[in-house]
Amino acid sequence: MTPGEIRPSRLRWWWLAAALAALAAAGLLSILLGAVDLDAGSVLRSIVGRVPFVHIDSGLTERQEAILWELRMPRVVLGGIVGSMLAVAGGAYQGSFRNPLADPYLLGAAAGAGLGATIAIVYGPSVSAFPVDPLPLLAFVGGVGGVAATYAIGYSVRAGRTPVTLILAGVAVASFLTAVQTYLQQRNADTLREVYGWILGRLSTVGWTEVWLVFPYVLVASAVLLLGARRLDVLSVGDDEAVTLGVEPSRVRLLMVLAATLGTAAVVAVSGLIGFVGIIVPHMVRIVFGSSYRVVLPLSIVLGATFLILADLLARTVAAPAEIPIGVVTAFFGAPFFAIVLRSSRGLGS
Amino acid sequence: MTGALTLDGIGVRFNGSPILGSVDLEISRGEWVGIIGPNGAGKTTLLRAITGAFEFSGTVSISGSPTSKMKRGAIARSVALVPQHPVLPPGMRVVDYVLLGRTPHLRAVTGPSFHDLDVIARILEALTLTEFTDRDVTTLSGGELQRAVIARALAQESPILLLDEPTTALDVGRQQDVLELVDRLRRERSLTVVSAMHDLTIAAQFPDRLVMLAGGEVVASGAAAEVLDPALIRRYYGADVRVIDDGAGGIVIVPVRSQERIIDSTN
Repeated sequence: MTPGEIRPSRLRWWWLAAALAALAAAGLLSILLGAVDLDAGSVLRSIVGRVPFVHIDSGLTERQEAILWELRMPRVVLGGIVGSMLAVAGGAYQGSFRNPLADPYLLGAAAGAGLGATIAIVYGPSVSAFPVDPLPLLAFVGGVGGVAATYAIGYSVRAGRTPVTLILAGVAVASFLTAVQTYLQQRNADTLREVYGWILGRLSTVGWTEVWLVFPYVLVASAVLLLGARRLDVLSVGDDEAVTLGVEPSRVRLLMVLAATLGTAAVVAVSGLIGFVGIIVPHMVRIVFGSSYRVVLPLSIVLGATFLILADLLARTVAAPAEIPIGVVTAFFGAPFFAIVLRSSRGLGS
Repeated sequence: MTGALTLDGIGVRFNGSPILGSVDLEISRGEWVGIIGPNGAGKTTLLRAITGAFEFSGTVSISGSPTSKMKRGAIARSVALVPQHPVLPPGMRVVDYVLLGRTPHLRAVTGPSFHDLDVIARILEALTLTEFTDRDVTTLSGGELQRAVIARALAQESPILLLDEPTTALDVGRQQDVLELVDRLRRERSLTVVSAMHDLTIAAQFPDRLVMLAGGEVVASGAAAEVLDPALIRRYYGADVRVIDDGAGGIVIVPVRSQERIIDSTN
C-alpha cells in the first residue's frame, strides 16, 4: 500500500463547488422574487456594474435599484450570515458534546437571549434616551450570559463532571430563564405580540446596518470553529481516549463553545430565535457527505446559508403581503424534509 | 527517546477513596511487562495514570523525564494506549480512525503530510488492514477491530505501548494472533510494552515479567513461574488453581474446584 492510496475523509472541492452553486442559486432566486419582481438579466447587470471600473447600465429604474440594493440584497445577505452561523454552531456543539441534539440553544443561549429581548421590549420605551437600540445588545448579553451560567453550574459539579452534566445544567438554566421571561411577558400583555414576533424569528433589515453589525462576529467565530474541526474528530472517540491522543478535551470544548456561542448570540440579537437550523443542516450534511467535522463544518456554513435564504423567501412570499415568522417556516418545511432524509439514510452518526 | 519507564510511588484516589496505593515499577526499554491481578486491583488505573489522564501522586518518568512536566502532545508521542473498550464513532472509516493516532504529530491547520500518510500505509499493511480501510469501524469483527485499535496506537509512533486487556473479547485463535502481533511489533520497533492481562496462562507465555497488583499495591513481581504461585493466586484472586508444567518450559494455569467447596455444597 502506498501513501497515495491512503484517502482520509476530507472536503472534496466538487462538494464545496456544488454547495456554493446551490447558495448562489438560492440567493439569486431570493433577490428576484418578492412584492416587486425584478428580472434576472437586469439584476446581474446591476451586480456586475458595482464592480470597480466596470460601467454597465442595468436597465433598472431608480426605484428598482433601491429595492435591489437597500431591501432585497441586505436581507438575503443577512439571511445567509445568520443561517451559516446557526448551522456551523450547531455542528460544533454536536461534536463538542458528542450529542446529536446539542446546539447553542440547548445550553441556555436561546432562553437567555429571549429574556434579554423581552426586557428590552418591555422596558425599552422608558429608556428611549439610550443612544443605541437596546434589543440586540440585551439579546446578545442574555444569550452569552445563559451559556456562561450553564458552564458555571456544570463546572461546579465536582464528581462525575461530564458533557452530560453540562447539558443537564443547560436544561436547568434554560427553564429558569424561560420562567422569568414568561413572567415578564405575561405581566406586560401589551407587548406580547412584539415579544412573540421576536421569539419566532424575523429577518428585518434597515439597509446594511445589521449585516455589518454581525459580520465580524460570524467571521471570527466560523474561523475558530473551522480550525477546531480536526480536534472535534478526535473528541468523537470520547474524552478518555482523546487525552491519550494528545488532546485536552475540556480546552477544546471550551474554545468551541465560546466561539459558537458568541457567534450565535450575535446573530440571534438581530434575527430572533430561528430554531432547527443548527440541528437539521449539520445532520443532513453528515448523512450525505460523511461524519468528519472537516466536512460537516465547512459545508454547514454554505448549506446553512442556502437553507435560511430559501426559508426566508418562503416566509415573505407564501402569504404575501403578510410575512410568516421565519422560525415557523424552518420548522414547518424543515422538519418533514429532515424526516424524509432521515428515513432514507442508514442511520444517524453521533 | 529510549522508552524506559519508571513509576515512582504512584498513588491515585477517586472521590477520596484510594485506587492505587504507592506503586513503584522500573521497566527497561524493549521489555514486555504483564500486569495481572483480580478485578478492581487497579490495572486499568495504573495504565491510564502512565498516560497522564488524571492527577496522581508520585512520578511517572519516560526516559528520565517526568510526565508532569510534559505537554499532552509530548506524552502522546511517548506513550500510546490500546483501551479495553474503545469508543467507536459511528460512520468513521478505518483509515480515519487509524489517522487519529497521528494527532500528536499534526498541526491544526495543515492536515496530514505525505510522511503521515506513509506511516499509516505501512501500519495498515503490517496489520493486514488494507482491505478494511474504507469500512465503518462499527462493522468490524472483534479481531479486525483489535488490529485497528492497535494500528491507531502504532500511528502515534511512541516507544511505549500500553495494552489494557487486549484479548478479552477475542476467541482463542484471535488472542494468539494479537499477542504474536504485539510480540513481533515490539521486536521490530523495539517497543516497551505494558499490558494488563486477564488470562493467567497467556500472561505466563508472552511478557518477559509479571507484576501482580491487588488492592492497588504490587504484591508480587518477577518471572511467570514465581508470580503465578497457587498460594498467591488463592490469596489475591480467591481462586483455586493448579499450575502445571507444560513440559516445554512453560506453565499452564488451570482452575480447579476445591474439595472443601464440593463438600460444602453437597451438605
